[in-house]
Amino acid sequence: MSPKLKFPLSGVLLLVLLVPILAACGAGTTSAPVVETVVVTTEPEVIVVTATPGEDMGSTETPADTPPDAEQTGEWQTPHPILGTLEVRQAIAYCTDRRSLIESVYPFLEDDEKDALLMDTFLPQGHWALAPDEEITIYEFDPERGNALLEEAGWIAEAEGEPRFNEAGDPLTLKFTTTNAAFRQTWAAVLEQQLLENCGIQIIRTHAPGSWWFGNTTGLQRRDFELGAFAWVGQADPGGTTLYACNQIPLPDNNWEGQNYMGWCNETASRAVLAANNKLDRDQRIEQFHALQAEFTADMVSLPLFNRFEAAAASNNLVNFRPNPTTDSILVNVDEWELADGGDTVVLGFTQEPASLWLVVEDAAVANSASGLLKVRAVTSFDYDYQPDALEELPTIENGGTVLNTVEPAVGDTVWSVDGEAVELAEGVEVINADGEIVAYDGSPITLNQLAVTFEFPAMTWEDGEPLKAADYELAYAIECSEDSGAISLTVCNSIADVEFRDNGYTITYLPGAQWAEYFAYTLGTYSNLFSVGAYPSHQELADGRKLADVPASEWSTLPEIAEQPLSYGPYRLVEWQKGQRMIFEANPNYYKGEVAIKTLIIEFFDDTNQAVAQLLTGNVDVLGSETLGAGPELETVLEAAEAGQIQAFPITSPTWEHMDMNLFIR
Amino acid sequence: MTNFLIRRLFQMFIVIVLASMVSYGLLYIAPGGPLLGLQQQQQGGANRITEADIARIKARFELDLYMPVRFTRWFIGFPKEPITIGDQVFFADLQVGCATTQTVRLRYPDGRVEFAEICATPVTLADLEGRRSSNGILFGDFGLSQVILRDRPISTLIWSRLPYTIALMGISTLITLMIAIPLGVYSAVRQYSPFDTAATTVSFIGTSLPTFFFGLMLILVFAVLAKNAGLPYLPPGGATANRDYIIPFFGLFELTVQAGSFLDRVLHFILPCLVLTFVSVAAWSRFIRSSMLEVLRQDYVRTARAKGVKERLVILKHAFRNALIPFITLVAGILPALVAGAAITESVFNWPGLGRLLVDALNRSDYTVALALLYVTLVLQLVGYLISDILYTVADPRIRLS
Repeated sequence: MSPKLKFPLSGVLLLVLLVPILAACGAGTTSAPVVETVVVTTEPEVIVVTATPGEDMGSTETPADTPPDAEQTGEWQTPHPILGTLEVRQAIAYCTDRRSLIESVYPFLEDDEKDALLMDTFLPQGHWALAPDEEITIYEFDPERGNALLEEAGWIAEAEGEPRFNEAGDPLTLKFTTTNAAFRQTWAAVLEQQLLENCGIQIIRTHAPGSWWFGNTTGLQRRDFELGAFAWVGQADPGGTTLYACNQIPLPDNNWEGQNYMGWCNETASRAVLAANNKLDRDQRIEQFHALQAEFTADMVSLPLFNRFEAAAASNNLVNFRPNPTTDSILVNVDEWELADGGDTVVLGFTQEPASLWLVVEDAAVANSASGLLKVRAVTSFDYDYQPDALEELPTIENGGTVLNTVEPAVGDTVWSVDGEAVELAEGVEVINADGEIVAYDGSPITLNQLAVTFEFPAMTWEDGEPLKAADYELAYAIECSEDSGAISLTVCNSIADVEFRDNGYTITYLPGAQWAEYFAYTLGTYSNLFSVGAYPSHQELADGRKLADVPASEWSTLPEIAEQPLSYGPYRLVEWQKGQRMIFEANPNYYKGEVAIKTLIIEFFDDTNQAVAQLLTGNVDVLGSETLGAGPELETVLEAAEAGQIQAFPITSPTWEHMDMNLFIR
Repeated sequence: MTNFLIRRLFQMFIVIVLASMVSYGLLYIAPGGPLLGLQQQQQGGANRITEADIARIKARFELDLYMPVRFTRWFIGFPKEPITIGDQVFFADLQVGCATTQTVRLRYPDGRVEFAEICATPVTLADLEGRRSSNGILFGDFGLSQVILRDRPISTLIWSRLPYTIALMGISTLITLMIAIPLGVYSAVRQYSPFDTAATTVSFIGTSLPTFFFGLMLILVFAVLAKNAGLPYLPPGGATANRDYIIPFFGLFELTVQAGSFLDRVLHFILPCLVLTFVSVAAWSRFIRSSMLEVLRQDYVRTARAKGVKERLVILKHAFRNALIPFITLVAGILPALVAGAAITESVFNWPGLGRLLVDALNRSDYTVALALLYVTLVLQLVGYLISDILYTVADPRIRLS
C-alpha cells in the first residue's frame, strides 16, 4: 500500500527554501535582556503612570505631576514645553479665526451658512447634548487677548509677523501635522498665516499621507505630533469615553489603546464622560455631557474648528427628498418620495459599487442605501436623535417598552465588565453598578442593572408573500452574532444574555451590567449597520437546494441569495444588478406600508464625481447624495446649477468636524 | 523555431515568477487594506474592536501570515496544510505567521529598558488547515476578491468587465490602425507639405493633451453644453442609458433613443472611443511617419525608383513593408491593452471595463483583484512580445529566429 501523499513534490523544494526564510521572519529577540510582559489594561493604574494633573489641569505651567518612577512608566511623561501651558493653548484658540478657515474652503457660502458650521465644543450646533454658551468657554477670534496670554506665559514678541521667543531664546514654533488632502492643505495654509501674523505663533506644517497619519502603529495612534488636525464624525449619541477619559491615553504601557491623543487627563471631565455613558436617563446624561464640555473648553486641549459642508442634489421633479446629516442613507424615507410630473422612475448616482448587499461584511454608503431598500427600519436617526419608524414608539424605560431590572449576580455568573467584555464575576472584575458607578467586585453583594428591551413590529411579509415570523428573527440573531460570519465587531452581540422571539418581534435581555445608552435603538439589525428590523427569510430555498436557515454562517458572505439577490421585505425588491453599471429595483407589492409611488429605482455607479455631476446636469440622474458629491469643486458647480434653477440643492452641515488636537506631553 | 519557442517560453516563465514576486511585494508593503483604521475603532460602545476581532479579520484576509507564505499560497496554492505522508505529519508546528503581537518590556543587564513587540500567538502550518485558499494564480485560479466583490471569485469580476474593455479597446485600436498608418505614410511621402504640417500639429496636440482633460472637455462640450443649448448631444458616460432619452435635431425632428438599444450603445461608445483613437492616432502616425522617412532614404528605394518602378509600388511594396518592422514592436503592446483597458479613459467615461476595475481595486485596497489584473497584463505582454518576434520573420524574411 502506497503512502498517502498530500503535497506536490515542488512543495517540498519550496519548503526547503521557505524554512530558513520563515525562521528569519519569526526570529525572536536575543536572550540578553530580561523580557517582561506589559499588562495591557484600561484600568486606572495606567492613569497613574500617564498624568494626574488634578483639578488645576492646564492652569499651571506643569500640567502633570512627574511620575514617581520613570523607568516603570515609559514614554510620554514630560509635559510639552509650549503646549503644556494653558495660556498658550488658549492663545492659539483666540488667535485662530475660524471664519477665515471656513472662507478658505467654502468661499461660495453665504455668511449665515458659514456661521452654521462653527463649533465651540465637540458637539455640533443643535445637538441635544450641546452645552449652552454660559456653561462653556467660547474662544471668539480675539488676537489681542491671545497676545496678552502669550505675554503672560513669557513669550515675547520681537517683531510683527515674526515668531515670539521666551527668555531662554526658544522660538514659539510648533509642528502641525495633518493629512495631505487638498482641503486640509487649503485651510492649514490660512491657519499658518493667521497664527504668525496675529500672534507670533509659528507652525511648521507637515501634510502626511493618511495611511501614516491614521496608521495602526504610526502618526496619531503613536501620538507623534504637537498640533494635529483631523476630523471626527459626530453621531446622535455623543459617546466620547475613548476620546476624553483619563484611561484612554495611548501609551506603550497600554499597548497604545485609546483615542485620547492629547494625553488629557482632567479627573472631573473623565468622571463626567464615564458617567454620561454609564447612565440611561437622558437628563442625567445631558448634565454630565455639559460638565464634560465645560472642562473640555476651559482646558483647551483640542480646538474644534468647523463642521464640514456638504450638499445633496436632486432634479426639480423630485418631491419629499429629505437628506439629513445623521441618517445612514439618503434613501431612509424613499417610501415618501414622489415625482411632480407623476413619473415612475428615479435614478440615483453613487461613486462606488457595493461589494455585497450583506452589511455584515460591507459598510459602504451605497451598500447601506441599496440594502436599506430591501429592509424595514425599526428606527431612524434624523437630526442627531432617534425616531421610531416601523415601531409605534421607541421602547424606552419611561414608556415601559424596556424593563430595567436590578439583579444581584453571584460569583461565576456572566456579567458585562467595564472593559466591554462578557466575563465571569470574580473578585477584581470592574462593573458598572446600578447607580452608574464603576466598582471593582470585592466579593460582597453587588447590584447591577439588567435591561430587557422589547421590539414589537407590525405584520410584514417577504416579497414572495411569506410573512415574517419568529424563525426569521432567530436566524438573524444566530448569523449576525456568529464569529464565522465575517463581522468585525461583535460587542453588542456578546452583551446579550438572551433573546425571546415572537412572530411580531422579540425581547432582548442584556447581561447584568450592560448599559447601552442607545438600548432603545439596538434591534437585531443593528449589528449590520442599519437600525433595521433584523430578519432573514428562514424559509428561503437556495439554488443548490438547501434552506437558508441550514447554511453555516461562514458561507453566507459568498451566497448569491444573500450577497447579490437578497429577498426583500422593504419598499423595493432588486430585479437586476448589472455589474459595474447599475442596480435596478422595483416597488415591492408586499411592502407593509403599501406599494410606493415611484415604481422603479435605479442606482447607477460612477467612479468619477465629474461624470456623476455631468449625468445630473444632463438629466440622466435624478439624485446625488453628499457622499457622491464630496467636498470638491463639483459641489460649487451643483450649487450654481441650483441657483440657476436647473436642479434642487440641499445644503447639509456635515456631522464630520475638523479640529486640532494639542499634545500635552512629549516623548 | 522550436528551440526558439522553448527558450522563450522558459524565459517567459522566469519573468512571470520574478515580476509576480515584485508586484506582490510592492502591494504587500503598500499602505491601506482591511486593517487600516480598525485600531482607531478600538473604542468602547457598540463598535468596540477587540484584539480577538482583529486577529479574526487578519486570519480571514491572510494578513497573519508571513509574506513568503502568503505569496506562495497566492502564486501556487501552497502550503495549505502540513505535509502528510502516510500517517506521518510533518512541519505541523512550523511557524508561518503571527496572529497577535504583544508589547514586552526588555530589561537589559545594564539597566536600560525598552519596549518591543513580539509574537504572542504564532500561526503554524497546522492552523492553515481548513482555511480558504486559491489553487494558485499560476494555475489560473485568481482567488477571491477582498473588497470589490467581497469573498466571491475574482474571475467572475473579470469576466463581467472583459467584454466592455475588448469592445472599446478593440474597435478603437482597429480605427487607430486604419487612420494612423495611411496618415503616417502619406505624411512621410509628402514631407513638409501643408498636409504634413497640419497632421504634425494635430499629432502634437494629441500626444500633449492629458487623456482625463481631453475626456472632460468632450463631456462638457458634446454632452452638458450641447444639451443645455438644445443641440444634438451625446451621452456623457456609461455603456448604456438607464432610461429612454430624446436627442433634438435643430428643431427639425427629435430622435427617441431606447435605453439598451444598439443605437444607445453606439452613442455611448462614441466619446470614449474618440478619446482613445485620437490619442493613439497622434502617437502611432508619428511613429509610422518617422519610420517611413528613414526607409524612403534607403538606397534600395532609390534603386527601385531609378528602375522605373511605379511610385505606388515603391512606397507600398519596398518602403512600407520595411517601415513596419519597428512598428511591430509597438503593436505588441496591443494585446495586453486589449485586456487591461485604458484606466483613465474608462474612469472618466464611466466605462465598465477592466481599466476602471484596476483603478477601483487600487483605490479600495482590493489587492487580490489588482494583482490578478496585473498578472493577466503581464502574461499577455509577454505573449505579445513573442508574437511580435514571430511577426518580424513575416515582415522581414532576412530575420531568422534561430
